[in-house]
Parts: sequence; structure tokens; C-alpha cells
Amino acid sequence: MVNITIDGKQFEVPDGISVLRAAQLGGIDIPTLCDHPQLSPYGGCRMCLVEVEGMRTMQTSCTLPVSNNMVIRTNTAAINEARKFVLTMIFSERNHFCPFCVVSGGDCELQNAAYVEGMTYWPIQPNFKPYEVDASHPYFIMDQNRCILCRRCVRACGELVGIFTLGFEERGAESRLVADLGVPMGESTCVSCGTCIQVCPTGALIDRNSAYRGLETQVDHHKTICLGCSIGCGVDVLTRDNNLIRIEGNWEAPINKGVICKVGRFMPLDQQGERIKSPLIRRDGALQPASWDEAVKTIALKMKNGNSAAIASTRLSVEALYQFKEMFHNATSMEENGIASISAKMADEAKAAFESDLSAVQTADMVLMVGADLVNNHEVAGFFIKRNLPNGVKLVTIDTEANDLSFFADTALSIKPGSFLETISGVASLVRDLKKTQDAEVDVEKTLPGFESKTGIPAQSILSVANLLQSAKRPVIIYGKGLAANADALAVLKALVDLGHVCGAVNGEKSNLVCLKGGANSLAAAQYGLDKAFASDNQQAVFVALGDDTPRQALIQQLEKASFVAVQASYVSQLTTRADVVLPVETWSETEGSYLNFAGRLQKAVRSQQMPENVKSNLDALKAIAENMGVKVDAGNWKKELVKRTAPVSVGNV
Amino acid sequence: MAKPKIASDWLAGCSGCHMSLLDMDERIIKIAELADLRATPITDLKEPDESGVDVGILEGGINNSYNVEVAERMRERSKIVVALGDCAVFGGVPAMRNFFDLDEVMRRGYVETESTDSEGKVPDDPELAKMTRVRAVHEVVRVDVSVPGCPPDADVIFYVLSELAQGRIPVLKDNLLHWH
Repeated sequence: MVNITIDGKQFEVPDGISVLRAAQLGGIDIPTLCDHPQLSPYGGCRMCLVEVEGMRTMQTSCTLPVSNNMVIRTNTAAINEARKFVLTMIFSERNHFCPFCVVSGGDCELQNAAYVEGMTYWPIQPNFKPYEVDASHPYFIMDQNRCILCRRCVRACGELVGIFTLGFEERGAESRLVADLGVPMGESTCVSCGTCIQVCPTGALIDRNSAYRGLETQVDHHKTICLGCSIGCGVDVLTRDNNLIRIEGNWEAPINKGVICKVGRFMPLDQQGERIKSPLIRRDGALQPASWDEAVKTIALKMKNGNSAAIASTRLSVEALYQFKEMFHNATSMEENGIASISAKMADEAKAAFESDLSAVQTADMVLMVGADLVNNHEVAGFFIKRNLPNGVKLVTIDTEANDLSFFADTALSIKPGSFLETISGVASLVRDLKKTQDAEVDVEKTLPGFESKTGIPAQSILSVANLLQSAKRPVIIYGKGLAANADALAVLKALVDLGHVCGAVNGEKSNLVCLKGGANSLAAAQYGLDKAFASDNQQAVFVALGDDTPRQALIQQLEKASFVAVQASYVSQLTTRADVVLPVETWSETEGSYLNFAGRLQKAVRSQQMPENVKSNLDALKAIAENMGVKVDAGNWKKELVKRTAPVSVGNV
Repeated sequence: MAKPKIASDWLAGCSGCHMSLLDMDERIIKIAELADLRATPITDLKEPDESGVDVGILEGGINNSYNVEVAERMRERSKIVVALGDCAVFGGVPAMRNFFDLDEVMRRGYVETESTDSEGKVPDDPELAKMTRVRAVHEVVRVDVSVPGCPPDADVIFYVLSELAQGRIPVLKDNLLHWH
């Protein structure tokens, strides 16, 4: 801790922080435009100038570390004059005319800063050089005319997301934000996570969907979680008069700290599906509107006898999944036999947790990805890995097919299908040998005869992977659904745990083995035993709790000839058009319930939008059926039942 | 003491700021009690008194030689010049044409407009004012008080006028200061 004085007040603040952060801790407001709490200091806007005793010139407080007995002034006449001049220069640089800007009226940090300084006019007139507007991206627009060159977007793109698509070219007034080497944004390597829009202080990066649909003061905020996958990122859903306006990352969320991906930010607003608004019953070959009572009774009658099967989406809340598993025979989830199921089976055998959360990725010096595609699934976890690569973190991918992350890997092993077991146990043997021989030469052909012909991996590549693992101090192993496709998936997972022991990723109680599983509640579904293969003969009545999920083609085909199919769903799909009874239920934004993320953290989803009339929640629809089936479910037991089966990862707050 | 005289005029604007002035409703009677409202575009008297006024208000930016004359006349005859609204203060919406070549703008306005028939023609009568780049009023004449807003709220205009009518210079801050 160091002692400092700001504007005559004494503060004791942690060593090493900036003067700006110290002032914020002490409740002293220093205006700034380029600073952002989640980004590294940049010192680009010069708004945060302060006077420091003993220093000849004013200093940017965001880049100046505190030191003991520092005396700082933030509010002298000279500073205020300098700030006004800084603003004058920024306004004169480009086109900052407010009346025709989307963020004017409270959402623009530049305009707000001018108001704080009491600017009533621009002493220097604007630069009337037109800069380009890039509207090539499907989700947002980049308007160079509104840019103040603060580079928050560039820092967010690299430091938080690890994509490094955004950068600047040219110098001075010619400086311009570019994607890649100056290609249109829509054709660039942008992954559409939208973090740049969220950090932009002005109207330079504009979200298409929410433009002119409501300022900060006119919208309602709902802090909830994303149901896009099992990571459980915190999001802030913005609505106005029950209309969905925009989704933002929640900076305070413990898991993702503000970073989300396109699945969380943009795709939910792309939903074009036709909403089901009334219960439907098939009469004379066509689905006809019916009452809830009639529809529920029809389903109950068919499902009551033992000759039935049921399958649920893992996007349903834990409460709804519990109700579901208690009331149906032959119940499973749509992740039947998936990676979460393999992970659960491993826990059954080990009788103990063996996985961890993503926190170890932040401090890892090596990441080994096995059968995990963190570009097309669980993208935020991919961001966490990629953003650390510039710090020298080693990345190795082992998979049957390449993905975008394997492009950035130090070694990317593209193995033959079905050779996971040979590869993983082979690497483990080599690491053992390397440890034994103390870095002396290891002959791959001697340790692993015929390895290359079995896996398709050259001896040199496998040896370099073993070397990286052997020398890694804080290795993390991430495995994914690529493993589940193998008949011997459980054996592969055992080999992986063994490799973890050999290289130190698994060490006694401490494990740096991560499995991201599948959908929002895939861990909860597995904990409830809803991970068995779905089997139904055509005689059986089948109930599908689809919710707002998209049915897989395999399931649609499987149910084509079933004697009776009932579906509870939000949107019209091939499954609902084929069904005999359809119940209209909530979408993600109308859902209220619990979700257990891949790492065993139980979180609450809150309702952001009200349900349409005649639509019920997934839980209420299931309860209505149960009542008519004469099944009693003790709803209070869902937490206890969640930890009855040994979990693969420690389940925290249940 | 005689009531201070207030005059106004409009330049390259949309007259919306004067409409916002009227939007202060019955409070305009209070202003009339405090000040002598002289020439404005919305009263019978059109030119500020040659003998001078205390406050001269200008709405709109300056986009041609005629606007320059009006602004200079207002400056000469007023003790205090007020720039009212975003166009007068910054250039505003008309200044969007500064991003284009003037000939291009005229062609688009008089020849290429969708409602123009095949005879479209850019006006070229020598008596017409000469078009220029759009400028804020303070780029042409000295301005004493800037009142931004598109338009400034009636509340803001009432505050500004009542302060000026009582011999004080209005200070715009907090809720009274907005540019949109």
C-alpha cells in the first residue's frame, strides 16, 4: 500500500495501480474517454490529465502508476482549460454533429464529457473531410466519421477476445480503424462477438438491430445468463415495452467478465421462427387449435402407460428437467450419449470429481485441446485461450479434423478417426520416458512401435507434443465432443486422465482437466441420469420437451413412424408439424429457472420478456401433464437429486 | 429603466428554433413584460431597429452571401448576439452539405431530384445570393451566447431570454445544456 494525496485528501491505495484507478477508489471523478476498466491503459484521449507535484507537465492519470507520498490535483483551472482544449481538438477532428447520431442524448461518452465541461460551442470548426462508412457487416456498422481514435475496440478485440481483427492504419488525422489489412468488416476475420460495439464510447460502431430503438434511459435491463451453451456467461438483456432490443455482456459476471460470443449477443435476435401461440391437436389429419385442458389430457392419457418414451432439450431449466425425469418412463435428454454422458460415466467409476472450471486457463502456460472445437462451440472458452497466446502460452490440438484454433496451435495433430486412444496413451508413454531419461533422446519407434501408421502422426510431431507437455509448468487439458464419437470414448477419457497425472495437469485434489459438455443444462441432465441413448419403437408414445431448441434431423427421422408424438415447443419446426399434440411454451428470454454450468456452478436465469397469452413455461406445461397423469413430483427435491450421482466436477452452490 | 429590446432573425435553418420559442406558451407573456420584443421573422417588423437593440438572436447557420449580410447587420445593431440552436452554434444539419462539392449539391437539389422533370436547372440569376460553405455564426461574426440544441427546449429558451431580459448572461449547464 502507498499513501497519496488527491485534491487535498489523503488515501491509502494498493501499490502499482494507476492514479486514475486510485482516484476512482477514493470516489474522485476524473473524466476519460479511452479508459475502460476491463482494458489495459492506453493514454490516447488525454482527457484524464492531472497535475502531480514535482512533475513539470500534466500527466495522463490512466498511465501513471501511484507512488508513495504523491500529491495529485485533478481540478485546477489549468487542468479544466486543458480538458476543454482536448475536447475541442477531438470535436474538430471529424464529423461529430450530434442531431443525426444514434447515440446522441445520453449514450455518447464524448457528448456527455462535453456537457460536464459546460461546452456550448466548438471553438474550432469540424473537419469536413468525409470518412468512409463500412456497412458490410451483418450485425454492425462502422462509421469512421464518429471515431475518436480511442482504440478501445482494438484493445477489446485483442486483449479480451484474442481475435486481433481490428487495428489502426495511417497516422494523425489520417488514422483509421481497419479490419485485418483493410478489408470490409463483413469480409474480415471478425467473429461477430460484438465486444467492440459494447466498448465504443461514441457512435463509431453501431449495432444494427438496436439502432434508434431506445437510449439507455429508455430501456429495461435484465441481468441474466446466456442459454446458448454450458459456459453460462452473464448477459444483460435490454428490452423496451417487452420488445427485445439488444443483448450485452455483463462486465460483473464471474465467468465471462463481459465477454460473450455471437451465440449470446446476436443470434437470439436473429430468431425468425414462427411462434406457436395455442395448444394444437391433430384432428382429421391436421393440427387444430385446442384448449390447454384438452391437449394436456390427451398427452397424459397416452403417456400414462409404461409403453412410452420421453426426451428433453438441455436448454430447459433444472427445475423443469427434474419434473420431466420424475414423471416419465424411459426419459433422456437430447444429449443422449454425448460427451457429458462420457464425463458422467467416468465420475461414476472414479466416484469423485476429476474436472475443473476455466479459471486455470487464465494462468496456464500450456493448453492441450483434445476433440474440442472451441470455435464452433463454447466460443468464449476459445477466446480465453486465444487471448493468452501472445503471452507465450503453448497450444496443442489433437483432433480428427482441423478447426480455426488449430491454425494458431504450436502443434496441431490431425489424427486418423478412431485413433484417440493410441494417440493419448502414446503421448503419455513418451512423457513418462522423457521424465525417466531426463531430457535425453527418446526413440518414438522403440516406445511406440507402429505409431505413425495407426494414427497418421509423424514421430517428430508426437515427440514435440510430449516435450511441450513435459516442460509445461501449469498445463490445462480441455476435452470435447470429438471424443464422444468414439466407441471406446470412456477408455480414451481414462487415458486422458492418466496423461493429466503424468504431465501434472491432474495432481491429487487439484485438476486442470476441463470438459465444456454441451447445452446450457447438459451437466444437470447427466446428473439426473438423462444421458442414456434414446430408444423408442414405433409402438411407443413419445413426448418431446423441446422448448425453444432446434430439433436434430436424426430425432425427426426417428419419430417419423412413432404411434403418437407430443411436443412442447416455442417455435414451429418439422417436429411440431409432425406431432399429434403440440403445447406452446416459453422461449429463453421468458424463462425463469436454474442452470448448472459445465463446471458445476448453479446460476439463475431471470425473465426478460413476458410470455404471450396462452403460452406456459416449460415447468408449468410439464406440471399440468403430470397432474393429469396422476403423478406426484416433490418439486423441492431437485437440488438434493442433483448431487445424488457423483458429479465429474465439484458442484458448488447447491 | 427602459425594457431591453430583443430582436431575432433566421438564416440557414428550419425555423424549428423559433417554433420552440413559441412552445414556451404563456411564458412568452412574462418575457414580453420583461423585454420589448422587436423585429423577428414571426412578427410584423422584419429588421432590427437601426437605433440598435440589446439582444439579437440568430437561428441557422450561414450558407450564402445574404446570410452574411443579415448576420453582420444583427451584429452591428445588437449589444449581445445569441446563436440559437445547433445550426447557428455548430452548422448543424445544413452543414452536412459541406461533405460534398457545392456544384454536386446544387445539381442533386435542382436537377437530379426525383420530383424534377427533364427541364431541371440550377438557378443562376445574378441577383441571387452566392452559395458558400455552411458555417457556424461565430465563424462570421462574434457571438456572445451560444445556445445549442436541435432545437433548444422551450424551457432553455425561456431561461436564456429571462436572464438576458434581466441584464444577466445565461450560463447553460446540467439539464439546460444539450446538443440534440
